[in-house]
Amino acid sequence: MTKLLEWLFGVSLVGAVWALVSFDLLDLSLPQTYREVAWPMPLYLLVSFGCYSLATVGYRVATFNDCEEAAKELQGQIKEAKEDLRRRGLKM
Amino acid sequence: MATGVDQAVGMSLVVFSLLLFTYYSVWVIILPFVDNDHILHKYFLPREYSVIVPGVAAVILLLCIGAFTAVIMWKNRKPKKVD
Repeated sequence: MTKLLEWLFGVSLVGAVWALVSFDLLDLSLPQTYREVAWPMPLYLLVSFGCYSLATVGYRVATFNDCEEAAKELQGQIKEAKEDLRRRGLKM
Repeated sequence: MATGVDQAVGMSLVVFSLLLFTYYSVWVIILPFVDNDHILHKYFLPREYSVIVPGVAAVILLLCIGAFTAVIMWKNRKPKKVD
């Protein structure tokens, strides 16, 4: 079985369980509060995934190291390249 | 370590997402189990809004992305060469 089929199978299984609980398809008559919690679950998972992504991006922005030497080296290389091109006649 | 503005922006993103996650979790998961006359309900909108607000926010986000893409593509259009 391919990975796609596995994922689709898993997703449809979870979706079936969610539909059963939220819309009471089997007439299990669960307490109303459980149904109220289960119903927004897909949206809740999406929102929490978005929050996790935002937090990860923010954390990595805050802890990214500045590389002083690499920056200086790059500036030097840019100057070199400009000089070289100017010598060859490219107007900058 | 990143300095100055980078750290401030990064940390504010983390704090904002934590606050958003906590508020939304309480709204969706904890509030139905709390009695209707508890004072906590005062701080949260009715539960229908817990679905409508993220839906509207998603639509607005998609609109912004679409508008940005359209502006960039408009700026980069090249007139066709006439042979």
